[in-house]
Amino acid sequence: MSNIDIDAPGSNQLFIGNEAMARGALEAGVGWASAYPGTPSSEILSSLAEVAKKRDIYVEWSVNEKVAIEAGAAASFAGLRSLVAMKMNGLNVVIDFLSTIILSGIGKKGLVLMVGDDPAAHSSSNETDSRPVSKWLDIPLVEPGDFQEAKDMMPYLYDISEEFGTICILRSVTRVAHARGNIRLGEIPKVVHKARFEQYYDPAAPMPTPIMCIPSSFRHMFQHVRIDKIREKFETSPYNKYVGPEKPDLLIVTAGSGWLYSQDAVNALKAEDRIGILKLGTLWPLPEKLVKSCLSKADKVLFIEETDPFLEGVIMEFAAGFSPESKRNLFYGNHTRHLNSFGELTPDAVIKAITGVLDIKYQPRDAEYMKKVESVPQQYVMDRLLTFCPGCPHRASFWAIKDALAMDGRHGFVTGDIGCYTMALGPAGFFQTRTHQCMGAGAGLANGFGQLRRFGFDQPVVSVVGDSTFYHSIIPALVNGVHNHSDFTLVILDNGATAMTGFQPHPGTGLTAMGEPAQQISMENICRAIGARVEVCDPFDLKNTTRTMLDLIEQKEGARVAIMRRTCELVRQKKEEKPYKMKIDPEKCLGEDCGCNRLCTRVFRCPGLIWDPVAGKTKIDEVICNECGVCADICPEGAITKEAVA
Amino acid sequence: MVTKTKGMGELFKEVINKGLCTLCGACIGDCPYTVFYRGKIRMLDFCNREEGHCYEYCPRTHTDLDEISNKLLGVPFSGAGIGTVKDVFMARSRDSKVRSKAQYGGTVTTLLLLALENGLINAAITTKTSDEKLPESCVAHSAAEVMESAGSSYMAYPVLEAVNRIPKESKDRLGIVVTPCQAVALAKMRLNPPTQRNSLDNLRLSIGLFCTWALDYGRFYEFLKNNVDLAKVNKFDIPPPPANKFDVYMGQEIKSFPLDEVRNYRMATCAYCLDMTAEFTDISVGSVEGVEGWNTVIVRTQRGMDIIADAKKMGRLDIKDLPDQSLTHLKEAALNKRARAVQEIVKKTGDKNELMYIDISDNLKQKLLGQRVTVQGGH
Ligand SMILES: Cc1cc2nc3c(=O)[nH]c(=O)nc-3n(C[C@H](O)[C@H](O)[C@H](O)COP(=O)(O)OP(=O)(O)OC[C@H]3O[C@@H](n4cnc5c(N)ncnc54)[C@H](O)[C@@H]3O)c2cc1C
Ligand code: SF4
Ligand code: SF4
Repeated sequence: MSNIDIDAPGSNQLFIGNEAMARGALEAGVGWASAYPGTPSSEILSSLAEVAKKRDIYVEWSVNEKVAIEAGAAASFAGLRSLVAMKMNGLNVVIDFLSTIILSGIGKKGLVLMVGDDPAAHSSSNETDSRPVSKWLDIPLVEPGDFQEAKDMMPYLYDISEEFGTICILRSVTRVAHARGNIRLGEIPKVVHKARFEQYYDPAAPMPTPIMCIPSSFRHMFQHVRIDKIREKFETSPYNKYVGPEKPDLLIVTAGSGWLYSQDAVNALKAEDRIGILKLGTLWPLPEKLVKSCLSKADKVLFIEETDPFLEGVIMEFAAGFSPESKRNLFYGNHTRHLNSFGELTPDAVIKAITGVLDIKYQPRDAEYMKKVESVPQQYVMDRLLTFCPGCPHRASFWAIKDALAMDGRHGFVTGDIGCYTMALGPAGFFQTRTHQCMGAGAGLANGFGQLRRFGFDQPVVSVVGDSTFYHSIIPALVNGVHNHSDFTLVILDNGATAMTGFQPHPGTGLTAMGEPAQQISMENICRAIGARVEVCDPFDLKNTTRTMLDLIEQKEGARVAIMRRTCELVRQKKEEKPYKMKIDPEKCLGEDCGCNRLCTRVFRCPGLIWDPVAGKTKIDEVICNECGVCADICPEGAITKEAVA
Repeated sequence: MVTKTKGMGELFKEVINKGLCTLCGACIGDCPYTVFYRGKIRMLDFCNREEGHCYEYCPRTHTDLDEISNKLLGVPFSGAGIGTVKDVFMARSRDSKVRSKAQYGGTVTTLLLLALENGLINAAITTKTSDEKLPESCVAHSAAEVMESAGSSYMAYPVLEAVNRIPKESKDRLGIVVTPCQAVALAKMRLNPPTQRNSLDNLRLSIGLFCTWALDYGRFYEFLKNNVDLAKVNKFDIPPPPANKFDVYMGQEIKSFPLDEVRNYRMATCAYCLDMTAEFTDISVGSVEGVEGWNTVIVRTQRGMDIIADAKKMGRLDIKDLPDQSLTHLKEAALNKRARAVQEIVKKTGDKNELMYIDISDNLKQKLLGQRVTVQGGH
């Protein structure tokens, strides 16, 4: 991770997009940052956390996005510039609060919500485009087109937020957030943060009032007035620009990642003199005058956007209101199927869209060449199964869950959740997970399934969640289950880390984002206080874990909890030596015979075990194996042995 | 008839999921893919093999009765109800301690004790009743452990899993007590011994129990739990006909249930079972009609003859002739079970040539199909 704190204004530094935004926040003088981890947004908070003490700012990993934004708003109310970061899934969680803070307005100091979208859902359950929320809820939204803008837009947005008293959104996407680029640094101001809640501050109200969203209709009207004023401001924003000839054959309208792709495409087509590009940095409210003047330059307009056709919609809607004397454009984009409204943009897709509108000849490389290109990295990268790490406790947990459900025999199933253990949809977790939605949904679904006994439903239901997810959104579902007598088993895979997003601490880990010790909030105490039966087991003790699972599954009714506790292998490695020395006795290994048929490498499939097809035996891959010892208990022949390392 | 050995997938498809499993235990014990849990054989994972010992040994997959009989008894499968007989008589233990703990005359327990004592075997695989009053397998190495196994649980239990668990290298000389379906599975294991586990070369004595049907482990246990105080139970009994009842002994107190009620809990698969007297064992033992405290004993092999001779010599058993009428009734009952099973199977398959797992001569098939049967059959 780069040092975002470096004190060298005017110098160039190589930052990933998220670090650039964090640096931008420092240059904006933020005093508060809160977030819930989620790819591609996590590094913003973690890089701020590293410099928090030195810069005397407060940084926290909040229990979930809703708390993160509400806590962040309080900082703004009390006079601190405040940054809240999350991925687009988090945005959905905070919509309720957004719908009121746009009415109440913020405090004296700016409040910026950074949302990281994940087109193509590289590390997400969905690829929702966050931009429409700006129009829907009347929230100003900007989006950087390059790394420099990712940094510079932060201070810019705080100024807007404060000038107009509203929360603002900075949206970015994976390719901006995680790619690395050069940025020119600005100065980090020396701010002495001083917090105080001025009870009677409200620019919208004719008289002193609390910060509140009522009278809502009046405030709604006021927000629209506010948005119109910001629109005026955005007309001259340095982040909107037009490049190209005065009278192009085609006008591209783009934003965000589309900006670089569009420039590349025009370059590749050598069509600089035929195509103009309007790049918007301030997407909402739409700078209408600027847009209108650019539309008048060309007959044909092509929208280049990633995922949803947001600008395409709002600009066509805007153009529909032009007077009859105005220019009538021909619009192209998603609605004419020149671009997809899903997945990521690629230079090829942009070129294809352009050549579909303008008659420019473009000879793409032939398919053979593409195949060659794709095959090059394959020579160096092993084809690997999407699975848990060697020694991961989740593999053992799902083994026990699988065995218990099979032994029970009533066709029980797992409702899944969001974390590394999502992989249990596939062979990593022996295909146990049968539903996969958003964070917390597995427990909610289990609540529902567990009520269907009265309609003849007789399958056991097991909701499997991670520890971080438990604190994030499972507790209400468990309360609901106990209160309404739902019949399900909640399994919490407690590996002491938010592993999937990069080991951020959570309320169970006893550490804060700033590295300070915190009270460890006991999940078993929470569950017991709610009234659920709780069993704690070690997933590496397969026998006992399976037995515990069976006992819980067979319980006649009620919500009950199994906590499968074992430190994440990647965390353990950093602190401890390997616990065992693993060996395989080839004499005992049955291989593909009846009585085993490669249970370890065919079903259990820890990457630490490799099948040697020549010898017809399994081997330990000593480089990869983390010597957890679990496979020794899987092998029916006792061929795999573990020897404790003294 | 398809005679090919298939895999675990087919075992579940053709046998277990169809409710035909007898709970013999031949498919579990050393296979990591299958387990016994609460009365059912469950698949933990799919082993993906096209052929497996589980399918091969299962008494409800293709079974060539002539082949088995030829190899184990030296004669083709007997059409007679009680199978191949070298000797038949009634017996009981001379040891009153054994008699008081045993089901009837204690012949089974006495023979096992004797075999342990004279070194014929050094381990006996039995089914004993646990403290929860559930059957469980036991590998008895001592007289005391054999004594603990005395008495019948009428719930089926997959005792052959204990056989499968015997380490490959084990040199234990084994004795075993099995029901007729378990005897068929055991016979199939002996005919085609597995290469990966104990080959059963060291099996020295097999004792079969007469069996009309066994009770469903899961369902009948529920019934018991709801109707008697299990902690007090010390014996179950189905007295020989014409008693027609199921007795639960709780110390001095006996609670009787009409056999017709208890029959509701028998395993469906027993209706398709040809064998009442465990024909593929060295010695078969049952009750004696109308005579309390004695056993009917059928000796089938030279090994069986030898141990009986020993028992006589050492004065361990009282032995008497079986009354002619009892023998006649036993033969009738056994033949009745055979014929009824074949007729039930045809009813199920809807085809006179489709006998599911059974491979017998055409002659015998015709004979059994033509036999008049009584519906219930005693126990
Ligand atoms: C399920 C079942 C049904 C039976 N049905 C009949 C019948 O219809 N007619 C008849 O005459 N006899 C039947 N018997 C046999 C009878 O109950 C006695 O077991 C037999 O007569 C031997 O008596 P014993 O006094 O020598 O027994 P014991 O000396 O008391 O020895 C009994 C032996 O039976 C074994 N055993 C106990 N429970 C089971 C079980 N569930 N599965 C396998 N082995 C077990 C024990 O290992 C023990 O070694 C049945 C037995 C069982 C288990
Ligand atoms: S010990 Fe076995 S299960 Fe554990 S990491 Fe090594 S190979 Fe994998
Ligand atoms: S009858 Fe025996 S071998 Fe066949 S499925 Fe049942 S337990 Fe397994």
